[in-house]
Amino acid sequence: MIISRRTALLGTLAAATPLRFARADDTIKIGGIVPLTGPAAEAGKFMQNGAKMALDAINAKGGVLGKKMEWVIEDDATTNPGAVLGFSRLVSRGDCVAYTSSVRSTQVNAMAPDALKAGKPVMFGGTDPSTTHQGNPWLFRCRPNDSFSARVIADYAVNTLKKTKVALVHSTDAFGTGGMNALVATLEKMNLKPVLVQGYTNQQADFTPVVLAVKSAEPDVIASYFTFENDLGIFARQLRQLGVTAPWVGSPSIISTTALNLAGRSLFGTFGIADYTPDASPEAKAYNAEYVSRYKVNPDNQSTWVYDALNLLAVAINTAKSTDAVAIQTALRGINGYKGTEGTYRYDANGDGVRGYNVVKNENGKIVFDKRVEFES
Amino acid sequence: MATFLQLLFTGLGIGAIYALVALGFVLLIRAASVVNFAQGQFSMVGAYLLVVGFNVLGLPYYLSMFLSVVLMAGFGVLFAGATYWPLRHRGGLPVIISTIGASIFLENIVLFLYGPSPEVLPGLFDSPGIQVGPVFMDSQYLSILVASTILVILQYLIFEKTLLGKKLQATSQDKEMASLLGIPVVAMILITFGYSAALGGLAGMLVAPVLFVSVGMGGLIALKAFAANIIGGYGSIPGAILGGLLLGVAETLGASYISVPYKDAFAFAMLLMFLMVRPQGLFGEKISEKA
Amino acid sequence: MSVNLASARISRGLPQAAVACVAVVALAFLLPGEGYYLNILMQAATYAIAVSGLVVVLGYCGQISIAQAAFFGIGAYGVGIGMVDFGIGFFPAMLLGVAAAGLSGLLLGLGSLRLGGHYLAMVTISFQQILTLFLTNWISFTHGPDGIRGIPRPSLMGVSFASGHAFLALCLVFLVLSTLTIWRLKTGRLGRAMQAVRDNELAAGTCGINVFSTKVIAFGISAVMGGIGGALFAGGFQYISPDQFSFSESIVLLTMALLGGVQSPFGSLVGTMVLVILPEWLRFLQQIYLAVYGAAVILIMVFLPDGLWGLMLSRVIRRAKPIEGSVEPLPLLSERAAASNDYVLKVEGLAKHFGGVKALDGVDLAVRRGTVHALIGPNGSGKSTFINVVTGLYRPTAGKVTFTGQDITHAQPHERNRAGLARTFQNIRVFRGMTVLDNVMVGAERPGNDIAENPAAVVERALAALDFVDLRGDAHRQVGALSYGHQRYVEIARALASSPQTLLLDEPAAGLNLTEKHELGELLKRLGGHGLTILIIDHDMNLVEQVADHITVLNFGRRIADGTPSAVLANPDVVAAYLGEPRHEAA
Repeated sequence: MIISRRTALLGTLAAATPLRFARADDTIKIGGIVPLTGPAAEAGKFMQNGAKMALDAINAKGGVLGKKMEWVIEDDATTNPGAVLGFSRLVSRGDCVAYTSSVRSTQVNAMAPDALKAGKPVMFGGTDPSTTHQGNPWLFRCRPNDSFSARVIADYAVNTLKKTKVALVHSTDAFGTGGMNALVATLEKMNLKPVLVQGYTNQQADFTPVVLAVKSAEPDVIASYFTFENDLGIFARQLRQLGVTAPWVGSPSIISTTALNLAGRSLFGTFGIADYTPDASPEAKAYNAEYVSRYKVNPDNQSTWVYDALNLLAVAINTAKSTDAVAIQTALRGINGYKGTEGTYRYDANGDGVRGYNVVKNENGKIVFDKRVEFES
Repeated sequence: MATFLQLLFTGLGIGAIYALVALGFVLLIRAASVVNFAQGQFSMVGAYLLVVGFNVLGLPYYLSMFLSVVLMAGFGVLFAGATYWPLRHRGGLPVIISTIGASIFLENIVLFLYGPSPEVLPGLFDSPGIQVGPVFMDSQYLSILVASTILVILQYLIFEKTLLGKKLQATSQDKEMASLLGIPVVAMILITFGYSAALGGLAGMLVAPVLFVSVGMGGLIALKAFAANIIGGYGSIPGAILGGLLLGVAETLGASYISVPYKDAFAFAMLLMFLMVRPQGLFGEKISEKA
Repeated sequence: MSVNLASARISRGLPQAAVACVAVVALAFLLPGEGYYLNILMQAATYAIAVSGLVVVLGYCGQISIAQAAFFGIGAYGVGIGMVDFGIGFFPAMLLGVAAAGLSGLLLGLGSLRLGGHYLAMVTISFQQILTLFLTNWISFTHGPDGIRGIPRPSLMGVSFASGHAFLALCLVFLVLSTLTIWRLKTGRLGRAMQAVRDNELAAGTCGINVFSTKVIAFGISAVMGGIGGALFAGGFQYISPDQFSFSESIVLLTMALLGGVQSPFGSLVGTMVLVILPEWLRFLQQIYLAVYGAAVILIMVFLPDGLWGLMLSRVIRRAKPIEGSVEPLPLLSERAAASNDYVLKVEGLAKHFGGVKALDGVDLAVRRGTVHALIGPNGSGKSTFINVVTGLYRPTAGKVTFTGQDITHAQPHERNRAGLARTFQNIRVFRGMTVLDNVMVGAERPGNDIAENPAAVVERALAALDFVDLRGDAHRQVGALSYGHQRYVEIARALASSPQTLLLDEPAAGLNLTEKHELGELLKRLGGHGLTILIIDHDMNLVEQVADHITVLNFGRRIADGTPSAVLANPDVVAAYLGEPRHEAA
């Protein structure tokens, strides 16, 4: 009994020891942290699917620098400390030439100090604008940041729908607050002030106070940053029940499959923005077709950004003709016009690559591509 | 005024949910001195059972509801066997912690089986609700209010008018005396666990159309329900109901007139206030321990 | 003088602490590379410090706190906000954070610890939720949901802790110091008081322990440990955000403590290490990991009540050696007080009503110094109510209680004990989780006892009390493992060790078999012979007749007779009310 326990403990330690004496490198390794456990474990599956598609495509075309590309992953347990630990495990392997990080901004922020120390490119999917403005030259974003989502929402509401009285409802978490700040700033540049800015805390049982606040502000358009679909669903139902009919442009959660399922009719006629939508470009269309044929489910942006990240790294390494970190970094910064599933990549000095969103419309429960809004900078 | 009435209605609806879950809490506190931190997860499991019965197996709505309630009662007995029975002689603390363990277990086993996407269940009625003057009455809130009233009356009748109820009461008041009187104390405690789980499950099924069915649906409700319990008076049945309603109304009004983001803080601030000023709650007895 | 246990305890810690500190600093610098090992150890070390706080509040004091992550967060935000926004140094910022954590712990404790255990659980949950809301929503102060990044690492007296190795070394030194401190705390006076409160609040109060303030201190210490862990965490990871200090993290910290064992900071250290490594170990379980985790909590509670550390100890521990050497006998046995007309305890017109029931209805009673006074009466006559009112467990409805000249009618139980009033209980109230010796030491170190401030003398006094009841050989056994009769003796020894002015014995013969009753009678005679003032409550007439100098009889809450045994027992009222009952017990 005692011996078996001790053996098990030794086994644990062995498992935690990086395999330093593994066979000679015959692949080029990209490290990645993925939520394998915790609330985002489902999203982790999408990430892995997207990555597998990217690797197959890259390696079918001859790989990178004549070797196959490999993606080695660690669990982040959907927590910030988990992300930090997972990332540092990858770093201490010593054989990764670059990394993919998380779609959650706080996780990226938590591991940013370690990324700076590691000194190798880290591709990530979080959309908090400030992540790329903290002077960390190794972070490269593979989705548009929230300042663009705000600009797209504002542009669509004001210029396309021709509305001016904006009521803004947002979650008070990192994502919602970031979006709210960006949207208020954008509207200010258009000389508009929202008639209402209303935050709420995630996971509420009831949104009547929020809905009544919206109702009494008498907006002609509603903008929203919802994090969780069940919050969105309850809000949408109560909004319609209490007779608010103003058009509604929401952040990506408004068009997610879950939201459509939960809120049903309450979301008919609303608009949403999406960094990835199948009909936005030929690349996105092709990706969608292959994903569906492989995995029998529709892809979402959890998978597309990783797909783009690995492809971008392959392009950069091949361009750099080296796995040297600075060379890859320089090559990534040189990318100009790469067409990915998330849009067209042109990296700036901060590490932002994509500068636009798609606007889609919920037509009786079907998501229809409306237009793509791109910005120069 | 219209706004106020609307908020009042909503607050009562939400409060009725808290009250239902709080009722399950109180029964276990009285029968077995167990503070069950997995009470909210009872609601979650109950709602998922209804999802299985109605959405997956395609059984009729009321039949699946009935089956789910029966299954929940059985589940409550199992739950007692795992978390309460082995620890019953070791004081309150180990049981509290094992129910916390059970709550983590239940959430994650359901997460594993069902995934994180919330499920949708239809309400008891097809109509979304009725407009009464300036107030829109959501049909599901109405059903919750009606159902909780019926349940409270039913519970009163069972406890006060039936032999079983008398035995349950005797057990909750003095286990030694009850067992001297020939009441099967063990069976009474297990029945209470079963009843409490069934009640919790039913509460989950009733709120499912409002909150959707998700793994986390029970957690916050249970915390509020427990707060309702203390505000109403620890271990008091009328206290649990009134405490729940009060809490629902207070936080809805507080959210609207003070701050939405701090909505959850009102419930807990109210709880802290009661603990400092009137720890026995609205209906509770003075707290003292026998020498 | 061969008993020097306590003095050894005091000097023992220091060299060990120094060696351990040097060892962990060396370990920190010997670790390879910057990354994984540093981070995982930094996480484990900072968590372990916070978890060791739970050992104090939950393990030692038996109070359940579900907000350790909140205190951890307050410490972390103290450092984050202090350094990033106000530009103060790491250590002053850490001090601020820890002070804020400790202060909020004290305030919460003051508000809730008068009430039972589940109230603290509830209050801490509320505090946890409110704190998370504030960290998220009060953006101008806390930086909101984005968290605080770029927290610098300190340097102290020219030593820079900027590198991961150096900072880890700092964390480990803190960990060593806190673990040793908390380990030492357990065997000290305060630690014993906490455990006494955990095992039996009422008995602890009547042993002179201020139950409420002991609980508040335990909770305060726990909050401070949480704050220290959090402050180091902020420095270690250089980024903090509200979701790192949420309710679920509190649960994680609680589980770490329980898994390792809440009775020792080494246990909590083991538990923390295991749960930091466990995700690696259980990786194959993937999504079901947390479900297994929840089930594990239940299994630990059921099968490992003392945690992993308790399991390890039970495998290696040898029976502690008996304590050799003679000690001075109890002082009460050497300074025989002559029976006098000086009243030690005087009760006038004492009444206690429960609703409409008059359990006590104007009872007068006076106990003279150096006598054995018996209070008898049939069941339900109000005897137990009387002793509970006199020792402060019940508040009297009317009347006055004077003890050694002081009015103690409204004093707290522990205040009465400090004045020299000790008691035993009808249904034995020993501190079941502690050893026989520790039980008696709690008595010996009651505030106001002559030797209470001298740890070595406390041990001697406790041993002397054990000698008196002939239980020295069981000194290191858990009191719960003793027979009922011996537990009764432990309770008496605990009272004797506190050198009481008056000893109140509440039905000491209850539950004893005939042999034990006989032994008890002998013991009481010896005590009485030495001149200790005793008020004994019993209905065992045989016992009372053997030992009492004076008898008071109660019936239906009223005094019906008072005087010498022969006079009282001849009183027709007493015969009617009391002796009319079958006397089988006295047979």
